Amino acid sequence: MSRVFYWILILALQFFVFNHLELSSYLMPQLFILLLITLPLHLSKTVQIIIAFSLGLVADFFVATPGIHASACLWLVLIRFGLLTRIDLKEQESNRLAFNAKTAGVTTFMYVSLILVVFYHFYILVLENLGAFNGAHVFFTTLLSSLFTLLLIGFIQYVSFNRLGE
Amino acid sequence: MQRLLAFIENNLHLILFVVLQIVCGFLVFSLNAFQQAAFTHSANSVTASVNKTVTNITDYLDLRQQNKELQYQLATQFNQSSSGSLLYLKDTFTIKDSTRRPLFSMVPAQVIYNTVNRADNVFIINKGSLDGIKKNMGVISSQGLAGIVLKTSSKYSTVMSLLNTNMKIIPSINGKEYFTELIWDNESPYFMKLQGVNKLEKIIEGDLITTGHSSLLFPKGVPIGTVSKLSSKPNSQYFQTRIKTATDFRSLEYVYVIVNQQKEALEAMLPANE
Repeated sequence: MSRVFYWILILALQFFVFNHLELSSYLMPQLFILLLITLPLHLSKTVQIIIAFSLGLVADFFVATPGIHASACLWLVLIRFGLLTRIDLKEQESNRLAFNAKTAGVTTFMYVSLILVVFYHFYILVLENLGAFNGAHVFFTTLLSSLFTLLLIGFIQYVSFNRLGE
Repeated sequence: MQRLLAFIENNLHLILFVVLQIVCGFLVFSLNAFQQAAFTHSANSVTASVNKTVTNITDYLDLRQQNKELQYQLATQFNQSSSGSLLYLKDTFTIKDSTRRPLFSMVPAQVIYNTVNRADNVFIINKGSLDGIKKNMGVISSQGLAGIVLKTSSKYSTVMSLLNTNMKIIPSINGKEYFTELIWDNESPYFMKLQGVNKLEKIIEGDLITTGHSSLLFPKGVPIGTVSKLSSKPNSQYFQTRIKTATDFRSLEYVYVIVNQQKEALEAMLPANE
């Protein structure tokens, strides 16, 4: 039940707040990918691929980018498979736990998140700007948006930790 | 056979990944701007209504600034109406020609979704075919030109923003029309680029760029922007001109869709290839 609430909260934040953020044209944080980063470890790879594609398609509908988020989400889970095989998470997997800062450790979680978040922003920006590629715009938007998204992810993990720890 | 089945079973996720990426590739590369518009908001009442709700909330928070802009706009229109060319009629404005035939009317609309970060930006407005909006109608803000309608559904329309690499506008500088294209080069949401203006032309920084006579979508004289920077390469006979857009697309809230009431009649008078 709490996982359903968590999904609704993150998606609402993305579609109601961050998609409409007008602080800077270099800032387009994609917080909803946290849902894919923290998918439960026991889920089969096929199920994870289907979840990623569905979630990406929903995100596409909200921001008028047919296929871009769906494609990026698919790559994100594939890279996540590769990264998580290098980490020993068998115990967490057998206990049906999600991948997060509490189960995997802060350093490991933020290391994986960093790679996935930067990749995701870079990928969607390249696809969105294919018609008139502007390297500096893509670079700075990737940098700022990734940094902002990572800060949000860190904050959400910190809040969840404290709540769970009580 | 068994080995093949085992291979498929072991790599089902990879096969699925490839198949779904092909689907995504089709969506990304085969849909042009017009079809993308059809795929998204204007055709999708769920996402459009979510974005509309958010806009209603942010509008409330932004009322003070919007009031100022409306006041300014009404004052400008009041001043212009003294010449008898612009009349205020309920919620639409009508511009008439010298023989008092209605030329353009404007339907007010609200922006419910807007992008400025992409190469091909669009925005969605809360008026559609039921309000008389049709494809290829011009859209202006209280500050200046904003875009052209790409597609309409019954209640919503998708508009190609001026900040779109497919947008090409013939500008008029200080009232003189230049048959060169004003384009957006995906550098900044505040600036556009104008090439092909000869160095012999008398243009200086700060000059006003407006719409001219050559378009049936906009009345003459709608501000597009101002010349913010003039530069040129030594061996080129043309200026490289940077234009500051009149409309601030990052805070675009209220717009007017321009209905050319004589469009069919005027188009019938044009040569077949135009």
